[in-house]
Amino acid sequence: MADFSAEVYQNEFLPDGGTDVHAVVTVTCTGAGAAGQVGEGDAAEIVIVDTSGSMGDVNIRMAQQAAAAAIDQIIDGTWFAVIAGTHEARMAFPAGRAELGMVQMDSTSREAAKRAVSSFRADGGTAMGTWLTMAARVFATVPSLAQKHAILLTDGENQHETPEQLTAAIRAAQGQFQCDCRGVGSAWQVAEVRRIAQALMGTVDIIPTGAQMAATFETLMRQSMGRGVASASLRVWTPQGAQVLFVRQVSPTVEELTPRRQVVNALTGAFPTGSWGDESRDYHVAIRLAAKGIGQEQLAARVQLAVGEKVVAQGLVKAMWSNDDTLTTRINPEVAHYTGQTELADAIQEGLAAKAMGDDATATAKLGRAVQLAAETGNDEATAKLKKVVDIDDPNAGTVRLRRSVDKLDEMALDTASTKTTRVKK
Amino acid sequence: MTTCPVCHVGAEESEEYCEACGAELSPAVAATEPPPTREATGTPPIDTDLAGTASTCPACGGEVAGDGYCGTCGARAPKHRDHFSEQPAAWVAAVCDRGLRHTRNEDAVALAAGAEPGSHAVLVVCDGVSNSIDSDLASLAAARAARDVLASSHSRGLGTGLSLIAATVSRLGAAADAASEAVLGVTRNAKALHASDVAAADVSRAPSPASCTFVAAVLEQDLLVVGSVGDSRAYWLPDVGAATALTLDDSFAQVQITAGLPRREAESGPQSHAITRWLGADAPDHKPTTATMTLAEPGWLLVCSDGLWNYCSEAQDLADLVRQTSTTSPTAAEPLTLAEALVSWAKAQGGQDNISAALARIQPG
Repeated sequence: MADFSAEVYQNEFLPDGGTDVHAVVTVTCTGAGAAGQVGEGDAAEIVIVDTSGSMGDVNIRMAQQAAAAAIDQIIDGTWFAVIAGTHEARMAFPAGRAELGMVQMDSTSREAAKRAVSSFRADGGTAMGTWLTMAARVFATVPSLAQKHAILLTDGENQHETPEQLTAAIRAAQGQFQCDCRGVGSAWQVAEVRRIAQALMGTVDIIPTGAQMAATFETLMRQSMGRGVASASLRVWTPQGAQVLFVRQVSPTVEELTPRRQVVNALTGAFPTGSWGDESRDYHVAIRLAAKGIGQEQLAARVQLAVGEKVVAQGLVKAMWSNDDTLTTRINPEVAHYTGQTELADAIQEGLAAKAMGDDATATAKLGRAVQLAAETGNDEATAKLKKVVDIDDPNAGTVRLRRSVDKLDEMALDTASTKTTRVKK
Repeated sequence: MTTCPVCHVGAEESEEYCEACGAELSPAVAATEPPPTREATGTPPIDTDLAGTASTCPACGGEVAGDGYCGTCGARAPKHRDHFSEQPAAWVAAVCDRGLRHTRNEDAVALAAGAEPGSHAVLVVCDGVSNSIDSDLASLAAARAARDVLASSHSRGLGTGLSLIAATVSRLGAAADAASEAVLGVTRNAKALHASDVAAADVSRAPSPASCTFVAAVLEQDLLVVGSVGDSRAYWLPDVGAATALTLDDSFAQVQITAGLPRREAESGPQSHAITRWLGADAPDHKPTTATMTLAEPGWLLVCSDGLWNYCSEAQDLADLVRQTSTTSPTAAEPLTLAEALVSWAKAQGGQDNISAALARIQPG
């Protein structure tokens, strides 16, 4: 059985009249076990591979190997299916049935699925919404599923669908399954694929060349199989009259959770977190309270992790009003660090968007700020990626110049990695 | 040789009463009878009565959750330790309160009294030093230990007149010893918990060992003897006539007052609350400074911490306050009601510190 713990990092002291309480809550899971093995219900995996014409002979062969590598990682007993995506979605495995369905992994189905993916041909367009819609329908054919996860691979823009069609498909799939998304090469749109990944509680990343596809798929599937806790939600209780300013995952990536709030009761909201393996995630919560008198203490939030209806970990966020400046002016390092990292993600994304639109002044300012924040918060990976897009004159002042020739892949790598955060150095 | 069952000081087999504290030495009596303090004092002999928190939130009426905070408004549920009262007899009562600005109540009170008004009573107040570890535990342990020593025997066998005074002064010394030992015990426990291996027994090396003040008033019929260490005080507030401060603070402010500085000025200076004597591992000594008085007029005996006298230091001002407060309603002169009212009054003045007010109503004839 998985064990969860919660630790709270905050400065609970507020000055006279102070109202806003910030805290970082670290939730850690240990002993998660393997997906589908701990009796909460079955696990299921769908591999969605872009087989549009742009994949070409070389990449389609790499995609065949990648799909096979993913299939090899799926634990026996796990329900699975493979979808080939073009301007429409096609069941690659199990195929040739009158109705959609999934099969359970065993040596026979593993070999049959690998044979099926070896017949992928590159042909047709791209309509990712139809892929998501089919995946949701396929998952729905197995009622015993508690954990549903997909890997989506694409290499291009969503040309054969309007953005509205994609939005509608994402909305319909939301809450049905989790989806890690990967784009191969440089012809796909980071913002478009990130939209899918964020809505479906998955990750987004770039695979620069086709040769790296198999390793990526293998890793993604192994990670997914290591998530023995099918689903959990972060619950935030706040006192009557309090306002939740935001709830945000800040590690391992920045994910805005505030709009995902589901009502548990009048004072408690739940934010779905998807499945858990052995890992730690950090959450930044900000609560606005009515100010109380000096010397008063109250709870600002109970931050809990709930598996089903069961609360398995709780952290208490407190507020104490004090007239001691040495206490109230103290800045909590975790809160400061993640506030900087969140701003860093925004600065990178806004800077790259401005650059794409030819607004060099804004791009220079935003990316300069990003360089500064990456240096301040010790995010060396972001600094390394930023260096490929801008020339840095002074990292502390954030003085940069846009590089004239930038490899598109480097720019996309910076974009996809923008939400990845580093932890506070202790 | 035997030892006193109350203060653990050695005594001769032939003696009937302990030379140090006046307790009965007969082992048969001590072993078979329940402790004589049991029914006369306002609290059970152990500290568990003040553990825990209220189950209903006083701020909003909501239910208090298992984590000690209200499930509706989030207010920290008051601990029983934050506000408690004692009333061992109708004429003796005390209230001890966190006040408004401190996060915990480091004051403590402990009382004992005979049921018959004016017969005998013990009133102890200890004020934990706020920057020392576990001073809330220390003050409560100290006050109760001292009370138990003082309540374990009264006038019987202690003679009359000067011999009674001498015996009572001696008992106060033994009570301070017991209180000091209780404080050291808290420090030893803290050290044992935090560093079970490192010289746990050497309490003098604790970083900021638990410390508290000590004031005790012992009333035997019309004889009052008080003893104090630190800046908690006892006052005699007669219904008519001049009020008297019975204790002298062991404080920097008192040093200045003795040197001629006006009280108001000395008690508002930057170092005014620095005390020069206390109970604790780093205390220079803890022999109480004693004073004696014969109470022949009706009035109030008040024992209190600086959380009260900070707002009303002069004895006559306190007498006026008590007179006004005790006449606001027909029940306002009940000791417990009056003690609550004095605590509320101190809170209304700002409640900067923990507040303790212990009262005995004296009504001769």
